[in-house]
Amino acid sequence: MNRESAKALAIGTFGVAAAMSLAMIASHVSPIVGFNAFFYGAFGGKQEIAETLASTTALLFPALGIAIAFRAGLFNIGAEGQLLIGGLLAGWIGTRIDVPPAIAIAAIFLAGAIGGALWGAIAGWLKAARDANEVISTLMLNFIAASLALYLVTGPLRAPDAAGPELSLLPHAYWLPTLLSHTRATIALPIALLAAFALRYVLDSTWFGYRLRAAGEAPEAARRAGISLSRVALWAMAWSGALAGMGGAALVAGELHRFNTQLSPGYGFIAIAVALVGGLEPLTICIAALAFGALESGGLALQAAAAVPKDAIHVIEGLLVFALAARRYLGARGAGAR
Amino acid sequence: MLDDVDLTCEAGEIHALVGENGAGKSTLAAIAAGEIAADAGTIERSGRIGLVHQHFALIDRLRVWENVVLGHEPQRGGAIDRGSARAFVRELGERYGLDVDPEAVVETLPVGIRQRVELLRELARDPGILILDEPTAALSPSEVERLFGTIALLTQRGVGVLVITHKLDEVFAHARRVTVLRRGRVVEERPISATTREGVARAMIGGEIPAIPAHEPTHGAIAVRVAGLAVPGAIENLSLQIATGEILGIAGVEGNGQSALADALAGLTAFRGTIERPHSIGVIPQDRLLEAVIPNWSLLENVMLGREHATSAKASWRIDRAAARAQCTAIVERFDVRAASIDAPLSTLSGGNQQKLVVGRALVDNPAFVIAYNPTRGIDIGATATVHTELLAARNRGAAILLISFELDELFALSDRILVMTRGALRGEFSERRFDREAIGRLMVSA
Repeated sequence: MNRESAKALAIGTFGVAAAMSLAMIASHVSPIVGFNAFFYGAFGGKQEIAETLASTTALLFPALGIAIAFRAGLFNIGAEGQLLIGGLLAGWIGTRIDVPPAIAIAAIFLAGAIGGALWGAIAGWLKAARDANEVISTLMLNFIAASLALYLVTGPLRAPDAAGPELSLLPHAYWLPTLLSHTRATIALPIALLAAFALRYVLDSTWFGYRLRAAGEAPEAARRAGISLSRVALWAMAWSGALAGMGGAALVAGELHRFNTQLSPGYGFIAIAVALVGGLEPLTICIAALAFGALESGGLALQAAAAVPKDAIHVIEGLLVFALAARRYLGARGAGAR
Repeated sequence: MLDDVDLTCEAGEIHALVGENGAGKSTLAAIAAGEIAADAGTIERSGRIGLVHQHFALIDRLRVWENVVLGHEPQRGGAIDRGSARAFVRELGERYGLDVDPEAVVETLPVGIRQRVELLRELARDPGILILDEPTAALSPSEVERLFGTIALLTQRGVGVLVITHKLDEVFAHARRVTVLRRGRVVEERPISATTREGVARAMIGGEIPAIPAHEPTHGAIAVRVAGLAVPGAIENLSLQIATGEILGIAGVEGNGQSALADALAGLTAFRGTIERPHSIGVIPQDRLLEAVIPNWSLLENVMLGREHATSAKASWRIDRAAARAQCTAIVERFDVRAASIDAPLSTLSGGNQQKLVVGRALVDNPAFVIAYNPTRGIDIGATATVHTELLAARNRGAAILLISFELDELFALSDRILVMTRGALRGEFSERRFDREAIGRLMVSA
């Protein structure tokens, strides 16, 4: 963890705690009572811890993907769409194959990665070939992904037995094994942690990671050193989408056990905050994901116990993204002027 | 940083403050202007001390007049009186020969014009003393002349001007007194008439100037052949040849197509015509901070930039850290880069040391063709000597070198042959090392 990411993490933690206190006071709840309910909801027992870990996992995959794009200088805000398309392909493959469970699970994750990668690569290709602003294209592709998924599950891919807009249930053998029995905490968490370590290795120790960081840090110097900015944009967006797509696969195989269009309650957006709070460093992002996972599950408990609306937590997360993005932007300009 | 420094700048004089990078000149300027506090000592002054920074302290997104009046805006009824602010800026520009469009947004202006905006901002506050920190580092020869014209107007009005520089030509052409700073101490202070260029140079570096190796004439085969080169908007039908073991100098005022020529030869821009050149190439880009290095990164990671094949012997996808460290250490030693460690951020190095690293990176793999674009712009005498020595050593090893420079002295010192570039075309060829300064200067400004 470098100093920059430690600083982001500290500011994030402190800012969220302060903002939560204000929200509690505004709801006429003593912060002591409120935080007690919050921490019980996040870590109070096996079920609570499992909920926190499940949210952590759901945020970690897209946050790692977002970090790849951001490190390459690409503001990918399309993780939500990439996650959805990854989940769709994963859920479809899971109902179409008949192989041993281990291979099926691998295939489901691979399908998720491919789906997300293809969706991310569209924005990467638009950037590389047409210099299309990736903020706009990834944002728009989120809407297209949602509409496409809805069309496919209500039309061509609709399960004969389905009650709503969803695919068939995966065979029980393909469901992800749980870490804690009868909970939503599955082996997707160690897979995500493995992905974080792999990403750190790629960024620090491979030429691909080096080129990606150079392109993000100083595009003109990178271009003059023979690094193809187009190729970096394409591959960074593809890998960014692949990780988000694996997040979709994890949700499909680990939680819903089928694909439906309500797969993600906005994990792809909250993951932007996770990536920024984690200072875009894979291992710090794991800590940030745990913190946000706790916010998700503790926030629910807070709502139930103390009538502090869960939306308040989301407002706080939004403010945090805003603050960190502003700091990053101003910081970059300050460094450039020096 | 500074130790017991005494400096006096009188009204109406041009006083030069010289010294190598890191000698403490900019720190002294910032203390004099009240931007940072000194640990001990006093500053007496009559009137305000204004400081024009080397790296301009302008707000890029604001207009020229907004930058100039910022902090003391003329007001009318609680709002900024735009009309009189614009008129004030225009009038100030006319008085000092600094034409700038007050309505222009600063980020759209070239460097030379931005400097005028900085000057206007300081002049708007009616300074008694004006300090200019490396004012000519980024200016073309004609812009330099204009700047000293403005400075002369200022001294006529009784303003004392302290010019920080390491260009001795300018010191001896314009200044009345010179103060030499070395490692934070004043080592010499005297009237220009009582000193010599060699004396000042020795005082600056604290010893003799390193000698540049002699030219040994070589007559190699043609290594670089350019025919009918055209780059839209910059170059039309340009041809040139460079032999192995030859330095071809390109003289010219900035903005006459030199950048397009360098980029076409480096393979960085689309062009028509033919370019035949060796595959192995080393490039020293024009703008160090923007084009050559990543300032936040370490020396080690900067040395790897553009040298993937040289740094990964075995697996091509994985970085061979040990090899990269060894190579970086070798460059740092051979090119005399002074740094705390190869893991230190490059931004902690002085400009001269950064540039030595850039030159080292370009030359360490013994490329057959080298493009050097203003290789010593803005760096001190010691670092300049190192860069010149290394370029000549590369030439003597048989490299073909294209040297683009805005400094005639540099071209004369290094080139085997000089061509003058104006409006995207090459004209006049000066060879056999018989360089005629006047004829070259005339061609540079001819249309």
